[in-house]
Amino acid sequence: MSEKAYRVLESHNFLQGVMYRYMLEGHAASEEGKLAWVTSGFPVEIPVAMDVGVSYPEQYGAIVGSEKVGPKLCGYAEELGYSQELCSYARASIGSVKYPEESPLEGLPAPQALLACNNICGTVLRWYDAISQMIGAPVFLVDTPPLEGEQLPHHIAYVRHGLDNLVSFLSEQFGTTLKEDKLREVTDLSTETIGVWTQCLEACKNKPSPLNCADRFLAMAPVVAIRGRDYTLEYYQTLLNEVKDRVANGLGAIRDEKVRLLWDNIPPWFRVFRIMGSLAKRGVVFPADTYTHAWTGSFKDEDRMDSIASMYSNVYLNKGLEAKIDKMCGLIKDYDLDGFVMFSVRSCKRYSLGQLVSKELVSERTGVPGVVIEGDMVDSRLQNDAQVETRLDALLEMLL
Amino acid sequence: MSNAQATEQSERILKQLVDKGKPILGYVYPHTPLEIIMAHGMMPALLFANPTVMGSYEASLQTFACSFIRNMFSQRVHDQLPYVDGIVFPGNTCDSLQNLADIWHLRFPQDKIFRLTYPAGDQGEAAVQYFAEELRIFSNSLQDAYGSPFSDDAFRLAVDLVQRFRNAVQFLYAARLLQPSSVPYHRIAAFVREFHSAPLETVVDELRPIVNDVERSLAEAGRVDSTKALQHALLERKLEDVSLPSDLPTPRIAIVGGMTEPQAIAELVNAVSKVSSTAIVFDLLSFGFKTIFTPMPALEGDSFETMARSVLGALLEPTQEGLPKRLEFLKDVLTHLAIDGLIVCEQSFCDPDVFEAPSLLAVASEVGVRSVRLPVDPEFSDRARLEGRIQSFLETLAHGGAA
Ligand code: SF4
Ligand code: SF4
Repeated sequence: MSEKAYRVLESHNFLQGVMYRYMLEGHAASEEGKLAWVTSGFPVEIPVAMDVGVSYPEQYGAIVGSEKVGPKLCGYAEELGYSQELCSYARASIGSVKYPEESPLEGLPAPQALLACNNICGTVLRWYDAISQMIGAPVFLVDTPPLEGEQLPHHIAYVRHGLDNLVSFLSEQFGTTLKEDKLREVTDLSTETIGVWTQCLEACKNKPSPLNCADRFLAMAPVVAIRGRDYTLEYYQTLLNEVKDRVANGLGAIRDEKVRLLWDNIPPWFRVFRIMGSLAKRGVVFPADTYTHAWTGSFKDEDRMDSIASMYSNVYLNKGLEAKIDKMCGLIKDYDLDGFVMFSVRSCKRYSLGQLVSKELVSERTGVPGVVIEGDMVDSRLQNDAQVETRLDALLEMLL
Repeated sequence: MSNAQATEQSERILKQLVDKGKPILGYVYPHTPLEIIMAHGMMPALLFANPTVMGSYEASLQTFACSFIRNMFSQRVHDQLPYVDGIVFPGNTCDSLQNLADIWHLRFPQDKIFRLTYPAGDQGEAAVQYFAEELRIFSNSLQDAYGSPFSDDAFRLAVDLVQRFRNAVQFLYAARLLQPSSVPYHRIAAFVREFHSAPLETVVDELRPIVNDVERSLAEAGRVDSTKALQHALLERKLEDVSLPSDLPTPRIAIVGGMTEPQAIAELVNAVSKVSSTAIVFDLLSFGFKTIFTPMPALEGDSFETMARSVLGALLEPTQEGLPKRLEFLKDVLTHLAIDGLIVCEQSFCDPDVFEAPSLLAVASEVGVRSVRLPVDPEFSDRARLEGRIQSFLETLAHGGAA
């Protein structure tokens, strides 16, 4: 039997353990009446420092997608009147709240509060409002108006005010308080975790790249969901060691690296391994992607709440199209990439509208070709696999 | 006046203004502070979806962009936007508009684009302070771009004009609820549209005789005071003490939805229903009730702060935090204003509308009001189906079908 084109990471076992523990913690917190659902860009260090458990519905959406039950769960939301035009993470979560027994892991544990931050999109607020209508848990929004250029003092003051309100909300809702030293401890751990994760990402500048984007899509779950915990940091240290070993021994994520590409946007969870696997056989690796690079940054040693306000306002998705184009051009240059694939996700207008323009500009500025493929991250009904394949083939014809 | 005629008329008026050398600033979000723009000596002009323009967005926008922004972009590509010297886009209202401004800027770098970013949160005073600062920055950028400074006097005149217009239309809204035959809904919608296209004294002048006629007909029925009381109650959003006459014609229909154009919907309902001139008694549309019942900015104090309070004092939009409050108000409207049919409009691929629709329908059903969901796009490309849907809804209402 021929050798597989793709190398499996040994630290994935550790990752599974981490995610299992996170799930158990979520259930325990829910039973104690101390669980909040949080959006992926939420300043999670605050609830964590206040001993409020957190669960991430977007990550649950990724599980629904990977288990290929997206159409079923999204269909349940559609029965309730939520159109197929809406974000499939939202629809999958609405469907799973309605029919937990039909959902992977029997749905996410029930929350007592819904914490949304609109630094990734405006959809999260409407999604959580819909969930709130179903289960009665209150919604709290941290409003981080999108930034054009530098963050001005009135913006930071406004977001900071929102964070202070969040503390009051959590205190009232969960009967807990925020202690300065605990917040420092949690934010320090977060900074360190993000730092180690960033080293894993940057190691992919090496040739061959030690990680492919599907590896990073899996490995990112804890940095999104459970930064600020010691066991998360431990996992990333293990991953970094393995990545360093691969680099030292000249081992790539795929056996025979010929073409290095950039992936833009969320992946189609129900198809990502098949796509990556078949591209790996043709020598195609993705050393960088815009999605997993979105969780970077560090908390500075100033007032921690101000630092949180600044970091969460400045996330990649909260900035304009120019910033996204700069980011893509930077990654293509820094990781020495030959081309790029932009996944146009029908669910996600914030991430996807503008890709047609950025594709042209990124190609113009970097001189490398790119392709836009359309589909969805959870709802496979919205994806035409044959079309995706044709487009990828067209790109590879130019490069191989 | 039909929707198409209204488009032609507003273009004509804008052209005359341009010929006179008046700088025009286009805007797309209903809660744009007209008074600030006017304080810079500029004319704010609402850019409407144009049903006659289609396609040609495909090189820049995917098909899942909302139908409104697709239409706007198509107008620009086809060079069919009314003449404007710049456009102000809102920030932080919905993902589609947020991205459209960026795309526009990259595709048409020669266009003057401004962005006014709104708070999405219901955060009281902090939101007011934040937005006041955004308004100040916006005002400074108008001065930088056009060299015309903010004038306090022009601001006061603008506040006065906008307020006189809103007062008059508020009165018509209240009159229609108490005596739907006094003024057709599409007439009110046409005035709202005309004023938003170019807030001119002439629109208020045209309104005056209509308001007088309506007042006369209300006086004959002894309803002037109750109309004024209802106007006040609507402004305060306190409807529990509203009392309506018992002989109101039915059906009484309310229309709810975000950025759907009131005149276009009125036209659609007119086309299918003989009872239409009295049927639509109320709307909760962005370009209708929600902007018309915006509280007046105070004339004392910092202009940007009073303007921020005014804009943020309007009824919350589906693009903002506060769904429970919106549902509560809808429930009040349905029960205290004796509504017996609700049309829920949603523009295709409009996340705010489409997300909210199931909750709106649930409220209607909870209070026993029949409802219909109407997916629309600005081109009304599916007109026959929409008319069929409205027709059968009206028939259900006439026959007292199940809620
Ligand atoms: S719209 Fe996009 S960013 Fe927002 S929740 Fe859905 S996938 Fe995430
Ligand atoms: S509110 Fe809806 S219709 Fe208006 S621009 Fe946004 S998505 Fe489009």
